[in-house]
Amino acid sequence: MRFMNVFRENGRTRHHRRVALLVGLLAWGGTMPAGAAEHEALSIGITQFPATLNPNIDVMAAKSYVLGMTLRPFTVYDAEWKLACLLCTELPSIANGLAIPVDLPDGKKGVDLTYTIRPDAQWADGVPVTTADVRFTYEVGRDPQSGISNAELYRRIRAIDIKDEKTFTLHVDKLTFDYAAIQDFMLLPAHIEREAFAAPAEYRLRTRYNTDPTNPGLYNGPYRVAEFVAGSHILLEPNPHWAGPPGHFRRITVRAIENTAALEANLLSGTIDMIAGELGLPLDEGLAFAKRHGEAFQIVYKPGLVYEHIDLNLAHPVLADRRVREALILGLDREAISQSLFAGRQPVAATFVNPLDLGYTADTPRYRHDPVRAAELLDALGWSKGGDGLRRNAQGQKLSFELMTTAGNRSRELVEQVLQSQWRRIGVDIRIKNEPARVMFGETLPHRRFDMAMYAWISSPENVPRSILHSSEIPSAANGFVGQNATGFTSPEMDRLIDALEIELDPTARKALWAEAQRLYAAELPSLPLYFRSDVFILPKWLTGVRPTGNQSPTTLWITDWSAQP
Amino acid sequence: MKLPLILLVVIAAASFAAPLVNAILGIDPNVVDLLDRLSGPSLAHPLGTDELGRDVLLRLLAGGRVSLVIGVAAALAAAALGTLIGLTAGYLGGWTDRVLMRGTDAMIALPLLPLLIVLAALDLNKLGLPARLIQSDEISVVRIVALAVLVGWTTAARLVRGAALVTRNRDFVRAARSLGAGVPHILWLHILPNVLAPLIVATTLSVGDVILFESVLSFLGLGVQPPLSSWGSMLSNAQELITAAPLLAVYPGLMIFLTVVACNLLGDALQRRLDPVTARTR
Amino acid sequence: MIRFAAIRLVEIIAMLALMSFVIYALIGLMPGDPIDLMRSADPRMSAADAARLKALYGLDQPLLLRYAGWARQALAGDLGYSRLFAAPVWGALLPRLGNSLLLMVPSFVLAFTIALGLGTLAARHPRSRLDGAVNLFCFAGISMPTFWLALILILVFAAGFGWLPASGIATAGSSDIADRLRHLVMPVTTLTLVSAASYTRYVRSAMREALAQDHIRTARAKGASEARVVVHHALRSALVPVTTILALSFGGLVSGALVTETMFAYPGMGKLIFDAVMGNDYNLALAALLLATVVTMVANLVADLAYAWLDPRVSYR
Repeated sequence: MRFMNVFRENGRTRHHRRVALLVGLLAWGGTMPAGAAEHEALSIGITQFPATLNPNIDVMAAKSYVLGMTLRPFTVYDAEWKLACLLCTELPSIANGLAIPVDLPDGKKGVDLTYTIRPDAQWADGVPVTTADVRFTYEVGRDPQSGISNAELYRRIRAIDIKDEKTFTLHVDKLTFDYAAIQDFMLLPAHIEREAFAAPAEYRLRTRYNTDPTNPGLYNGPYRVAEFVAGSHILLEPNPHWAGPPGHFRRITVRAIENTAALEANLLSGTIDMIAGELGLPLDEGLAFAKRHGEAFQIVYKPGLVYEHIDLNLAHPVLADRRVREALILGLDREAISQSLFAGRQPVAATFVNPLDLGYTADTPRYRHDPVRAAELLDALGWSKGGDGLRRNAQGQKLSFELMTTAGNRSRELVEQVLQSQWRRIGVDIRIKNEPARVMFGETLPHRRFDMAMYAWISSPENVPRSILHSSEIPSAANGFVGQNATGFTSPEMDRLIDALEIELDPTARKALWAEAQRLYAAELPSLPLYFRSDVFILPKWLTGVRPTGNQSPTTLWITDWSAQP
Repeated sequence: MKLPLILLVVIAAASFAAPLVNAILGIDPNVVDLLDRLSGPSLAHPLGTDELGRDVLLRLLAGGRVSLVIGVAAALAAAALGTLIGLTAGYLGGWTDRVLMRGTDAMIALPLLPLLIVLAALDLNKLGLPARLIQSDEISVVRIVALAVLVGWTTAARLVRGAALVTRNRDFVRAARSLGAGVPHILWLHILPNVLAPLIVATTLSVGDVILFESVLSFLGLGVQPPLSSWGSMLSNAQELITAAPLLAVYPGLMIFLTVVACNLLGDALQRRLDPVTARTR
Repeated sequence: MIRFAAIRLVEIIAMLALMSFVIYALIGLMPGDPIDLMRSADPRMSAADAARLKALYGLDQPLLLRYAGWARQALAGDLGYSRLFAAPVWGALLPRLGNSLLLMVPSFVLAFTIALGLGTLAARHPRSRLDGAVNLFCFAGISMPTFWLALILILVFAAGFGWLPASGIATAGSSDIADRLRHLVMPVTTLTLVSAASYTRYVRSAMREALAQDHIRTARAKGASEARVVVHHALRSALVPVTTILALSFGGLVSGALVTETMFAYPGMGKLIFDAVMGNDYNLALAALLLATVVTMVANLVADLAYAWLDPRVSYR
């Protein structure tokens, strides 16, 4: 009888009733899948399968999701967006004396950070986690041959002092405001991985995380990997040597189902109990699902740090004029898009800084939908409306831009067509030209061959926008087309703010800098802010303790808080 | 013969008359109405509206135009190319046959995916295509047709070659050859009519195949790009709304079904009319 | 005949060499690479990291140079490591190939059996109600996109009745054979229905033509039983065009079924090739695609040899 529920009606889509009824009749007499009775096992559906479980190789959301349960990072941003210790005992700060600023020989400021590993931390094979692992991880991270994806932190650490089995000091060459955050230092088990690192260039091929992923010695979290079937699922079981509070579930299965329609069907069939928000349904699909089956599940929406926006190519002669950019944003009714396509769950963004972020300020220029003002601006610039409703300048040139986004992203394609429709109303012609993600990110954006590009920036709490707004990050032939400032935004003032933000330690002074950067961004409009993407968590009614963070930390880091209500 | 032809003509005429229907009803199928999403059938919107509040009927017609153009153009071009290659290979034999057939095998085994992505990123200006075409919305259609032809001709080529191999040793062909008929003459008058039957079946089948191929491309995110739509892209978009609005999938699905049925029945009828052998049994 | 086969084998080898280069070049020509994508997913990864990784994977070298390196190694029998799976190519390939064959072979056999049965039946009773029903089945099968069929099967048999598992190859932690079989039912059904429909069309049309030929009528006139006429005479000559179509589908056994695999989250070759190509995993993509090429070409060779056996009028000089 589950199926009748599945196709339950609610007025709005009345004309689909007959089909639903048919399908429902077909399934009449169906039984409820067993296995949900005791809730000792949890089956999670995600849309991606991790290519590797090695914490330092490759960047993949699916990997962080699984590692959240099996491997502890030193530090992490929690659901309150505060930095917290997981594997360490105390966060170093200048106040508690564990962080000591030092003057470096080249005149810059560095910092010495002392951490202590939790005394009860053990790998799942019973070997304690020690500073030997710290030293080994540093060795791997420093080696240019080892294939580590993000080596920035390892490069910044000049040296490591080992005090004893559990305590060590990092000598970092730059004193930034977030000096205590070392989540990129993902600890590797020296007693297992040392052998694979014998030839550094071969490490990424030999690492036990790939060749022997069920080896318990690779994991130190509340769970360990018990079965690994590439492309299909990962089975987790409790780590017998876990000293913290134990997790409620005796088995956790993470299943990868890429197609979201199939993912929903799997949830309805009981093959999976929940769909993770981090790697689950896009918001519009989640909303449609909630409308149908909302009462059978717990549905949690969480806006996060994924900033959807439209980059404007400032090298385009027309877009180079700030007034045109302002007219463009005034012509958009972003509130209506958010309300009708996303049921208001995806708040309209004013700038690239999330309202939950420490540096956020509400005191920036805001652009509400104002087609009259937009028309005035364009008229004043000589773009006047012709008989076909489109604007042309004195030379007869049409006010027309190419809008692109990642092909195949249905949600973005929908929004794109709404934007086209809205701009058309103020006389701006938009041609849609989408490209596969790899072409757009690999070729078109770096070479700045676009007019308007809609995509997202993924950031972390208080992420200084150096790579996207600093003038030194404009991709060009001179720097081999690296850098992510694809709009070509150049502002000495912004450069100064970014440089200052990175090293300002005083929270109040930093907040002021953040506010200034946001005001400048909103005034200059190098890109048009759309909204912060929301994640949809679809959970069974009996599951408790899942707390979405909205930042890059997956909910699974707090798996031991998850429990089942009878 | 008549019924399928009428059905096809009606579908095609309705699809190609879409702009006219737009004008009469005064609705633009691309205009978004966020306040009227997923609504049921009404006088203004006989089949209701889609997830962006656009008229489903008009989009169905406009999508039909794209789907039919892609299906028919690709099927015909592929059949023509395949026939040419298959005939040459099957009749001439020897080295020509070897080279052509290994090329065909290679084509069948060639991975489509990188080909598609390369095609999507190709700088068309360098190929000397007119700028008006490159800038138009229809460029994604041209890409898909090119790809469908590229992968589609192999079936026809192998079929025609197989039949040509059989036919070239038949008595009437030998007789024609001994009477001094030229190669083009023999191919055209003696071999081609004898391979037509399987070829026509394959071609009519492939119209449906290409329309479906396009829907798979849409499924992979590499199909027709918005604001253009096709039955295939409507179908693959609708799968995400399968529980919320199943009818959005039923309409394009039904249109594909009708088109496939019509094409196949037409193929059968043509086969009966063209093939001297089967015709005799009636 | 043997000479013919020998020449073909030489051609196949030459073709493989050529194909390896074409595939390598095609992947190389695809703009963008996975490291750029990785960067857009991690805000803390720096430009220096991206450059270091590209150099490490050799992506900064010219295409020809990289291909030459690959060819040298491959000739020595070493297909290298898969970058995506961080494992030797064969280690990454074989389990997937096994999964794929488990999926493709049963559905291929089933589809072919159904097609022969239905196609022959329909051809023997042209324009009857039975013929109409078979036609309707074919049209429905042909016009149903695979992803839709799969989705409907999941909704009805997994979400509705709860009879079958919705996805994957096995229940986590289970190594039971019955469990694996249960996971195969829906994907195999999907593939069978879709391909049986178009095979049936070919069999039907070939059979009708065959039944109308002179030697069949002669056989009938001689008083051969209807069963003998159909099976022995008509089916044999009808198999010529059918063999062509079958040989064309043979490569699919190895290259998998991307859409079906995606919908049922079934780790097979289709998904492997897709991921390898998208991830610029040259070694893995080449090995998988060349394997598919070999199978396609050998199948076509067998088909050509079969023509001669099926139809005495075909000769190979």
